[in-house]
Amino acid sequence: MEVRARLGIFLCDCGKSLNNIDFSKVKERAEKFQDVVYVGLSSCLCLKEGLEEMLSVVRQERINRVVIAACSPELKENVFRKALEEAGLNYNCLSIANIREQCSWAHEADVTDKALELIRMAANKARLLQPVERKDTPVNTEVLVVGGGFSGMKSALELSELGLRVTLMEREPVLGGKLGEFEGFYGFETTPKEILSSVREAIEGNKNIGVLTSAEIIRVEGEAGNFTVSIRRGEEKVSRSFGAIIFATGYTTEILPQDFELKPDVNIISQRKLVEMLEAPAGLEQRPGTIGFVLDVSDENSRLPFLSTLNNALAVKEKLGSEVYVFCKNLKVDSEGMERLYREARERGVVFLKFEEKPRISKEDGRVKVEARDVLRGEEVVLLCDFLVAEEKVLPPEGTQTLSSMLNIGTDSRGFYQDENVYLYPVASERRGVFFVGGCRGDSDLARASTDISSAVTSFIRLLSPRDVMVEVKPQKCRACLTCIRVCPHSAVKLVRVETGEEVAKISGVACDRCGICTAICPAKAIRFEGYADEQILAEIEAIGESL
Amino acid sequence: MSREDNKIVAFCCQHSAYQVANKAGRMRLHYPDNVRIIRVPCAGRVDVQHILKAFEKGVVGVLVMGCQEGACQHLTGNTRAKKRVKYTEDLLKEVGIDGGRVKMVNLAPDMAQRFVGEIKEMAEKIEGR
Amino acid sequence: MIIAERKPLEEIKNMLAGYKKILVVGCGTCTTICWAGGEKEVGVLSSQLKLASSGEGNELSIVEATVERQCEKEMVIEELRDKVEEVEAILSMGCGVGAQTIAEIFEEKPVFPAVNTTFMGMPEKEGAWVEMCGACGDCFLDRMGGICPVVRCAKGLLNGPCGGTRKGGKCEIDPEKECAWVLIYQRLEKQDRLDLMRKYYEPKNYGAVQRPGRVEAATA
Repeated sequence: MEVRARLGIFLCDCGKSLNNIDFSKVKERAEKFQDVVYVGLSSCLCLKEGLEEMLSVVRQERINRVVIAACSPELKENVFRKALEEAGLNYNCLSIANIREQCSWAHEADVTDKALELIRMAANKARLLQPVERKDTPVNTEVLVVGGGFSGMKSALELSELGLRVTLMEREPVLGGKLGEFEGFYGFETTPKEILSSVREAIEGNKNIGVLTSAEIIRVEGEAGNFTVSIRRGEEKVSRSFGAIIFATGYTTEILPQDFELKPDVNIISQRKLVEMLEAPAGLEQRPGTIGFVLDVSDENSRLPFLSTLNNALAVKEKLGSEVYVFCKNLKVDSEGMERLYREARERGVVFLKFEEKPRISKEDGRVKVEARDVLRGEEVVLLCDFLVAEEKVLPPEGTQTLSSMLNIGTDSRGFYQDENVYLYPVASERRGVFFVGGCRGDSDLARASTDISSAVTSFIRLLSPRDVMVEVKPQKCRACLTCIRVCPHSAVKLVRVETGEEVAKISGVACDRCGICTAICPAKAIRFEGYADEQILAEIEAIGESL
Repeated sequence: MSREDNKIVAFCCQHSAYQVANKAGRMRLHYPDNVRIIRVPCAGRVDVQHILKAFEKGVVGVLVMGCQEGACQHLTGNTRAKKRVKYTEDLLKEVGIDGGRVKMVNLAPDMAQRFVGEIKEMAEKIEGR
Repeated sequence: MIIAERKPLEEIKNMLAGYKKILVVGCGTCTTICWAGGEKEVGVLSSQLKLASSGEGNELSIVEATVERQCEKEMVIEELRDKVEEVEAILSMGCGVGAQTIAEIFEEKPVFPAVNTTFMGMPEKEGAWVEMCGACGDCFLDRMGGICPVVRCAKGLLNGPCGGTRKGGKCEIDPEKECAWVLIYQRLEKQDRLDLMRKYYEPKNYGAVQRPGRVEAATA
């Protein structure tokens, strides 16, 4: 810094509770540290009284760098920073020493010396802190929603309700997704088809939503607030700009032939085929006497197949009156309304059988034979049914891997978005501004999709607020070796041409997630992370072992 | 600083390890007081130079503490830190400083006992060196 | 780009035996980009040397510097002129070209190489580089589908694979590496130029460049 540092050290004894620290000794010694113009002790620094006192001292002593020795930084950082701003200082001129959780509370004996050393470490760092700008980068507030199923349509509607412009794109020629394939939701008054048509109507009538059907993404560039997406529609290619992208690309289902010895044929059908049959029961040659369902062979984890099974079993009872048997390993009723559905199915006479070993499926006299060991009764069961509805594994839809490489975003172990990382749940990806909602995240249902959507919308709104520029590339030191661009987990760095004509790396203030991975790995030491710069970390280390 | 001071530096990532250290404090789980915690935004911010400079300064043990494998908020930060710690271990061996004096530790935010255990283990290791 | 690797510390220490004050110089271009001898590595090596020497009881005094490009005389002079006076020896972390340039300018000071210059290569991913070109001076990539067998084939064969190619197209000598000739075949196939595989190539003239080489542009 150009101006000489004038350090103010503010100690807090947390309501006189940090008894193993001799604060008068700390004050006496800390006053002797380099550049220190004031050391004071409070018992309630974070309360109104303490803050006001600190404010007036900062002004009076013309303090320009503040050290606070108190509880863990993240607890009251924001309160202190705000106070400093009121005193006319940049909020980044603060360094906090944790003398409570990591000092007084962590050790039994007297910790005065350790507290002093921690304060010295913080003071060394404070001397090197630099003011940070809060940049108001113009952001595009239009959102691209990819996928015109229930989740996509609902997302578009919610965003438009907030006054935002939305472009909803869909690969197929019509909107709808999987909703059209469900027969009914016994938990709901309305049928899926009714839900679908009312949502579609709402979208069509909405001036804030632009719909692009038969459209596919070719390329995605840029960062949150400023994505450039190339879209193909037939022969046409357009390039559009968006502030955020919400993926609602859904899922697909498939009967995996390797799990069922017999190939799907006339009698071994999918849930979808069953739904078709149920929609036109008159078209059947004869009413099926017995319908069986087999689950938990391909996938023991998804609850969707069980949800479909309950719905469709009840529909069968109502429309065809056939006997219904469900073979499964577990009853997965962990979604809204499913317990009730299950009980209703039992009351209507649907029989549920639990197996441990995979049932044997064969053909006999034109019907399907299922042999399984009913674990609860301890007996072998043989069932001959007219139709067997085979389990479909829930899979990510075609094109997921392509999209994920296009976006530079990971998928989980089953191929669904998002990377199995607890910090990304529920809807974020490693790239700020890119979100995932609904079925494309794997196991989902209407209730969970709705929560996803609210999450994504709120996250997007938060994105729009101005951010501080903390990590920057120094163009004159940059060698354009591309290392930072390659390693940034958030795809926040790109190559730009500067006025001198050179190409250097540039970090997007909006997309940067402040991890410092680029800072550590830059071979030319061309990146500076304010608050955790090399010289700041080394200054903390420098304080260790210095005589107190 | 003389070697008798036996100081340990623990670089703690703000998402996991730093919070774990706080938890240990809240639970009043006591550990040796010769450890100095330096907060970092991610274990991936810690570089070889930081660790070497600590040893140059007279610190006798360094712990780099980050999130559990697969749970780094920044995806690759803890794996990069692990590689750097291993490299630094080799560099330290080259200059005659060995015996596990630099170690990578992966912590979930609730592992207060484990945190304390690691500090105690390092403190024991460096005693009498 | 020139790729280099740092020498083992033991070797470097032996070079420096008897010297008490040295200058460690990095290069801001090739050895920075290949993580072998940039400002960072200068810092790491200096830390190591200080730790090693203080352990032995006689602390080495080290001045650190980095020249933007060690092979440019003007840059070397500009950056190091004041720093060399106080030191007894110079440890260069630039490639062989850089080290020799420094040696030429500051003739009275011994210059020691801290890195081994290994090959000309390209990054495979961050932190990993593979050899691509051997500077034979007689480039025939046009006939090889853009893949150089002199350097990328472990045996340097010019006429097709050796017959020891392992399963999966891996090299007989190093199973971690791809067989260059399999790669050449696949590349020529994509370009519909497989007829080139049937041509016979005479042994290369490794004397195409008279060593030590010198190039002067016609318009110099």
